Amino acid sequence: MARKHMVSNPKMVLFTVMSVALAVAVIVLMMGLMEGYRGEIIKSTVENNPHIIISSKENEDYISLYRTLSSTVWDYPDVQAVSPRLLGKAGAKYKDEVRGVSFVGADPAQEDPLMHVQEDVVEGDYLDLVFKKHSAILGTKLAEELEVKPGDDFYLIRMNRSLKLEVVGLIQTGTGSDESLVYLPLEAAQDLMDQGDVVSQVGVRLGDIYAAPSITDDLNARTSYDVKSWQDQSRDTLELLDTQKAIMYIFYFLVFVIAGFGVANAMIMIVSRRTKEIGILMAMGTTGRSIVQIFLTESVIQAPPAALLGCLMAYIVARLIEAYPIEMPSDIYMVSRMTVTLTQEVFVYAVGFAILVNLAAGVYPAYKASRLDPVAAIATE
Amino acid sequence: MKHRIDEAGVWNNNHIIEIVNLFKVYRGGVDVKALDNINLVIEEGEFLAIVGPSGSGKSTLLNMIGLLDTPTSGKILLKGIDITQISADERARLRNRELGFVFQYHHLLPEFTALENVMMPMLIAGVKKEEARATALQFLEDVGLGDRINSRPNQLSGGQNQRVAVARALANHPSVVIGDELTGNLDTKTSDLIYDLLRKLNKKINQTFILVTHDTELAEKTDRILRIVDGKLVCEMRREGDRFVSTEVCQTAEAE
Ligand SMILES: Nc1ncnc2c1ncn2[C@@H]1O[C@H](COP(=O)(O)OP(=O)(O)OP(=O)(O)O)[C@@H](O)[C@H]1O
Ligand SMILES: [Mg+2]
Repeated sequence: MARKHMVSNPKMVLFTVMSVALAVAVIVLMMGLMEGYRGEIIKSTVENNPHIIISSKENEDYISLYRTLSSTVWDYPDVQAVSPRLLGKAGAKYKDEVRGVSFVGADPAQEDPLMHVQEDVVEGDYLDLVFKKHSAILGTKLAEELEVKPGDDFYLIRMNRSLKLEVVGLIQTGTGSDESLVYLPLEAAQDLMDQGDVVSQVGVRLGDIYAAPSITDDLNARTSYDVKSWQDQSRDTLELLDTQKAIMYIFYFLVFVIAGFGVANAMIMIVSRRTKEIGILMAMGTTGRSIVQIFLTESVIQAPPAALLGCLMAYIVARLIEAYPIEMPSDIYMVSRMTVTLTQEVFVYAVGFAILVNLAAGVYPAYKASRLDPVAAIATE
Repeated sequence: MKHRIDEAGVWNNNHIIEIVNLFKVYRGGVDVKALDNINLVIEEGEFLAIVGPSGSGKSTLLNMIGLLDTPTSGKILLKGIDITQISADERARLRNRELGFVFQYHHLLPEFTALENVMMPMLIAGVKKEEARATALQFLEDVGLGDRINSRPNQLSGGQNQRVAVARALANHPSVVIGDELTGNLDTKTSDLIYDLLRKLNKKINQTFILVTHDTELAEKTDRILRIVDGKLVCEMRREGDRFVSTEVCQTAEAE
């Protein structure tokens, strides 16, 4: 039916569109931040951890046939690095300072492609690990606390054994491990553990991180080792993020309700201003259903521009956040900066959200309009 | 003759409207008996006037017949359909198809032009836009406003708006046209023009007209005059040739 818009009050339309647009912007941004955070966590997980970790069999503490295992893993396509590693906890002592550390013993030549260690080395030379058996690279914060510098010798103590190591470099990963990390050659670590030629895990790096689960499944089926993909490792974190999502949904809902009330309020005003005209339309035989339809259309018609405007605002703010990064304490959030990832999906949600807000907010006023008493409605001035 | 039998096939006498024991009481601080036991039969093709003092209940009765208001008790049959018993949608449909209403005040849609206002009932009825436009143009021509079709109500005089409202009421070719003071704002010449138009339609397509008026001259041109006082039908006069014959009720009422 050809009917002009009942709303011809540009100011009011602007306000309702703005209120929905703002709500859309807030929600798009929040989603973008969540998505960005998720992305960062995944990124930092796959950057700072092996994509697949193969641990010892059940009932065993170490892997002794790690060379065979490594060559098995190399047979998979797109494997970039395989590094057998011996991990453990120990005490680090320099002069009077003692700190608890987590050490990683590995072949430097294999460990570097796995963890990109060299990139993070800020002082000294990573390659010294290759040439000096009794050497180590320390996390920057750990070194600071122990007050050691490259070139100094310190002791790594475990149970009743101790190892004298030369600090050949410092490493800064930007994560919490800077406070406790010690890299040393595999043989040195094996000396310290005194368990013979064994490792505690084999780390694998892949070209395609999303190939990890299938390779993991395959290895789990073929061997009796305990194999975990990076997804398995970061599951806890991602699950935590998902519980936060529930909170976010409550937040979205509140924003939805607030924006909805804004729209409903404007719609109610429009209906009361248009009471007389509604009465006239009814007198001419417009059905209640058509009246509802007119007002719902009026309301929903505002959704696309509101969504567009909201997305635009969100996009601009996202670019600003990108341009002026906001630093975050990495030990709490695991990532050091705020990133906004605006996927196409988010925009689709935004449009859906705006339509839903306008629809929901339009229902009551439209229903009210359809239930007006025509005589009384026409009598209003 | 159109619409002799409704869908259900019930309506088969000539009574286009039957009002039985109709009451309307407005409840407020004090109860106002706006309509007090009205009984009335209107036949298809009648051209009748309702007169009476201000506040006597004329508009209230028209609102009832026009399906805009519901009675407190009593029945109204439109073409044999008891309109107090039907759904809101059905009422809306009847308002749109069977009834044309001219209000005491023109009540046009302010943001639409004269042409669009006249087209509106047809568009609601689902008539094609082009067809509606042509019909609307014709009626505006007929009420003498062929040159003002694109004016809005606030650009037209009271009388002009009233004529647009008349055109709108006629647009859907309703069976019954209800007019509340539809010549109130018009000079004698325009008033005659409208009367002639209505009369022509009355003769040509047997449309029924119910006109509330204070204008005795207009009332005396109709075929039947009903007088309402204090919500009661007190007097009825029928045309016989050139003169009106009062019913008995009327004489007793006048004698009091
Ligand atoms: N909505 C209402 N609420 C209460 N009383 C009403 C209402 N509408 C009309 N009335 C009363 O009902 C009575 C009949 O009113 P109505 O409008 O039918 O009179 P009328 O004959 O059309 O008068 P007029 O010639 O002045 O238009 C009056 O006493 C009026 O005050
Ligand atoms: Mg009146």
